[in-house]
Amino acid sequence: MKNNAKVQQSTKKEFSERISEHQGIIHKVTMIYADSPADREDLFQEICLQLWRSYARFRGEAKFSTWMYRVALNTAISNVRKNKNKPGHEFLNENVQLSDEGQSDLDQVRLLFRAVAALNRIDKAIILLWLDEKSYDEIATIMGTSKSNVSVKLVRIKRRLEALIKEAEKHE
Amino acid sequence: MLNLNEMNDEKLKAMWSKAEKLAGASGYESPSIEQFISGRSNDSAQKIKNMIIFDIVLKALVLAVLVVDFVLFWGTFNVMVVTAAGTVMLIPLLFYQKKLLTRFILTADNGQTTRDKLASMLTYLKTRFFTTLLLVAVTYLFGFIAGSLAYFYTAYGYVRQLDGVDVIVFISFIFIGILFNFLVNRAQVNYHIKHLEACLSDLNENSLALVSENIELQRKHDRLSKFLLAMVFVVGLIMLVLVFKSAGYLMR
Repeated sequence: MKNNAKVQQSTKKEFSERISEHQGIIHKVTMIYADSPADREDLFQEICLQLWRSYARFRGEAKFSTWMYRVALNTAISNVRKNKNKPGHEFLNENVQLSDEGQSDLDQVRLLFRAVAALNRIDKAIILLWLDEKSYDEIATIMGTSKSNVSVKLVRIKRRLEALIKEAEKHE
Repeated sequence: MLNLNEMNDEKLKAMWSKAEKLAGASGYESPSIEQFISGRSNDSAQKIKNMIIFDIVLKALVLAVLVVDFVLFWGTFNVMVVTAAGTVMLIPLLFYQKKLLTRFILTADNGQTTRDKLASMLTYLKTRFFTTLLLVAVTYLFGFIAGSLAYFYTAYGYVRQLDGVDVIVFISFIFIGILFNFLVNRAQVNYHIKHLEACLSDLNENSLALVSENIELQRKHDRLSKFLLAMVFVVGLIMLVLVFKSAGYLMR
């Protein structure tokens, strides 16, 4: 009994260290799927919990980061909490002081996120993986679809993003 | 402002790389992550899992009450038969539900690819979950019988004679309880089904056709178990009628 508890504790510690090291993946997923900092924090915790629950079944067949992306995206996609009708993405950390250049970056990022927010959950996952420099093969492996499907979808998604950004710019 | 004519893949990626810094994402140390993994989940799969676990616990409690009823009414043949029959029916139901829970845990495994996870959840919810919903709703029947018998014992020391109105009221309560339980849970599951279908169709339209084929195959396999479950339900109702009817013969 005591030995089991010790093993469990050390696994938990090892797991937490690995997640801490790769936490950028979870932050990226939460940025795409949650609007406010509070929602991002909730989703971050939810993903950590699901990663821990699936960790026992991780056999190292895929790269750790690929597995993390898979669990994080599956959690975000199947999370059907109702949209709280927030006006838009709250990106800016209030404490950050921005230069003119910083302000311009922020405007661009805001436009990008507004456009991404209008995509469906699957398209969000595909564009996120592509933006994060994943190859078509890796995207297909994570999503469980074919490379050609990824390629076709990406063309459509980028075209849609472009249209959405153009539309958002008109309203600015 | 972003110049659309200049927008290309590199620009999009460059914008993305700025996003992380601007979002002010806080870094977590491993002790914080250790705290997160002890938290409670809001995930839909986890909610369904909790529903099944809660029902298993409830069924186990009802089973315990039925055993206590059996002991309390020792010597009252009709009640002993009803409690014994209830116990005999609940035990296989408990094991079956445990089996369904294990299957659902495997189905909802987040380590699968997105398509596999969505497809397996959808197949499960559209086929196996009807059985699970029925099993969860049926707990109310057993709980009502076990609770009523315990109530009769503490209030009267025996199962008091019931008139026709009593029987109608009791049976109506059971029907309404079961129906309400079933409909509320089904509405929640239908909400998840719609969401999963939309996601799967967004991923690849062919996936949904594949799931439909799987569902049809699964449904064929499940027809026998649904029939058996319906039999348990009918026998339970007949038992309930019998216990009320037999109350007329029971003496102090």
